[in-house]
Amino acid sequence: MGEITLTKIKKSFGAVDVLKDIDLDIKDGEFIVFVGPSGCGKSTLLRTIAGLEKVTGGEIEIDGKRVNEVSAADRGLAMVFQSYALYPHMSVRQNLAFGLENSNMPKAEVADRILEAARMLEIEAYLERRPGQLSGGQRQRVAIGRAIVRRPTAFLLDEPLSNLDAELRVSTRAELAALHARLGSTMIYVTHDQVEAMTLAHRIVVMRAGKIEQVGTPLDLYNTPANRFVAGFIGAPHMNFLAGEVAELETGTATLATAGGHRLLVPFSGHSLSVGDKLTIGIRPQHITLANDPGSLKVKVRLVEALGSETVIHADLNGEKLLAVVPGQKLISPGDEAHLSVAGAPLHLFDRNGLRVKGS
Amino acid sequence: MSTTSLTDRLGSLLMAPVHLLMRIIDIPLRAVQKATGIGGMAAVFLAPNMLIFGIFVLLPLVINFVYSMTGGTAFFLSERNFVGAEQYQRLFTCTNYLDPMSCQEDAFWTAVGNTFWFVVLQVTLMIGVSLITALILNRDLAARSFWRAVFFFPVLLSPVVVGLIWKWILQRQGLLNFGLYQFGIEPYTWLTDRNWTFIATIGVSIWAHMGLYTLILLAGLQAIPKDLYEAAEMDGTKPARVFRRITLPLLAPNLLVVVVLALIKAVQIFDEVYVLTGGGPGTSTLYLTQYIYETGFASALRNPGLAAAASILMGLVLVVLTLIQLGIGQRGEKKGKR
Repeated sequence: MGEITLTKIKKSFGAVDVLKDIDLDIKDGEFIVFVGPSGCGKSTLLRTIAGLEKVTGGEIEIDGKRVNEVSAADRGLAMVFQSYALYPHMSVRQNLAFGLENSNMPKAEVADRILEAARMLEIEAYLERRPGQLSGGQRQRVAIGRAIVRRPTAFLLDEPLSNLDAELRVSTRAELAALHARLGSTMIYVTHDQVEAMTLAHRIVVMRAGKIEQVGTPLDLYNTPANRFVAGFIGAPHMNFLAGEVAELETGTATLATAGGHRLLVPFSGHSLSVGDKLTIGIRPQHITLANDPGSLKVKVRLVEALGSETVIHADLNGEKLLAVVPGQKLISPGDEAHLSVAGAPLHLFDRNGLRVKGS
Repeated sequence: MSTTSLTDRLGSLLMAPVHLLMRIIDIPLRAVQKATGIGGMAAVFLAPNMLIFGIFVLLPLVINFVYSMTGGTAFFLSERNFVGAEQYQRLFTCTNYLDPMSCQEDAFWTAVGNTFWFVVLQVTLMIGVSLITALILNRDLAARSFWRAVFFFPVLLSPVVVGLIWKWILQRQGLLNFGLYQFGIEPYTWLTDRNWTFIATIGVSIWAHMGLYTLILLAGLQAIPKDLYEAAEMDGTKPARVFRRITLPLLAPNLLVVVVLALIKAVQIFDEVYVLTGGGPGTSTLYLTQYIYETGFASALRNPGLAAAASILMGLVLVVLTLIQLGIGQRGEKKGKR
């Protein structure tokens, strides 16, 4: 079992509130990712679950038991640190054995568990080496191995891939996903990289300034971000935001006027909008096409990034920046005028407070 | 005129003489480089330092060795007669090697014995006290910087001042007896009791020097990543095991430095003890450096040759100790790399 429930978790360092009323239910076997910008409190939240930081308020339950006062060692969790935190003077084998020896486990069982983890992570050949003689990727495996041998209720991973190079990060990411599938344990993973979050998570917890902004599956967050922050954070490149105003409201449709006088039609079924309301319109760069149809946006091209399989166009729409990612290779140059179409694109509407408009 | 250009101009004005100096130096250096080649330039740059080292360290060492082969009371080498290994023979002339009093130079062997016990006890206690202090100062204490300064201040004192301070405390009408008297305890003559004086020299020298060793160990403790302790905490490691398996091995390089420095310093102990006890009562705190000093310069029947021979022997002991410790250190390093 590995169910973790957080209720109204608060954490302050002096006068600074780092975590503010965090509520979260993590299911057994779930791969959950905490994501957010630096300083949002995601690592602190992980450390409070681990027991390395005491909460200022609220309750942490693991499998239904309150663990606020339970020491880190007795919570049955294992942590993989960003720096790996391997003991530099011990061999890989000693590193893996160190935690098990604390519980006076019989030597034969310690050896079995080490061998099993080493096979799973393909680090058998390095068991007698010291961390200083391993590459970053190998150290990373040892750090995960040290967590695996303990057979914890849940794994806590604090930005475990951030010290790896880009190529290794992609392959290790896939291995981590496979490892989770194989072990079936609950994993809580902290990252500031939204691609890692999107590819690994069952559910993503987006955090900002000590609060949870939204919890949902990767596609939930991508398709229906709860607010402008989540919309801007999830998805690469970031979502475009244009200032707009409700020009007309008809049954099932709203007509929006952008700053440059363009009119965009949006399917709308709610009752929360009135004519004249100021809005922010969110459009993902991938949903914009190069087309000169009625209602398309006339833009000035500022920069073109030809990536081969797609072309990224940085454009200027009446002083507002607009980014479009169009498939294939396009003959377009900076300084050109172009027509970008958003016909059929899912448009995200956010009110003055940055919250998603209901019914949009 | 903008501020930047003003500072730029000021800067270039100040740097002008430096640039000029550089250009002047450049001329002979280029000539030297042409003569020696690029490889030879390393020797050219090392030469001034080596010259100072040679004049103030190597040369005195050689002269000292020559002195140890001469006899008489005269200080000028030209007035001294060559006696070969006579001084060394004199130091080693004993009827029973287990009894210092049976030796011709009984004071030398008393000093050797005193120094041996002093070094063993002082260095052991010094390492223990410095390590405990460093461990405490490494914790989240209130006013941590203040406490760190408090333990380091004695290092800044001159050894003579250290000796005088403790003399005022320990003498018959000193601070310690005054304090004890307030509690109804009879005053005691600490500095005339053989055992207490020996203990006092150990205690005072630890007090005076532990700040430096504490600082070295504290730096080592702070260099151990916090993550390692957190990983150990997650693993449920008991504090004693954390200390034995994580702190101590990772502190080993700093500990080795401290042991080497403390040993050398302890073998050389002189100033503060000389001021505090003068080597007494009797010869109970007569240590090797004081014996050398008194034999060479202070006693009525001074014998610079004998003092030089004793100091050469002391130097040999220090070299052997340092080599042993360097060997241990290198073995540890190799082990770390393997």
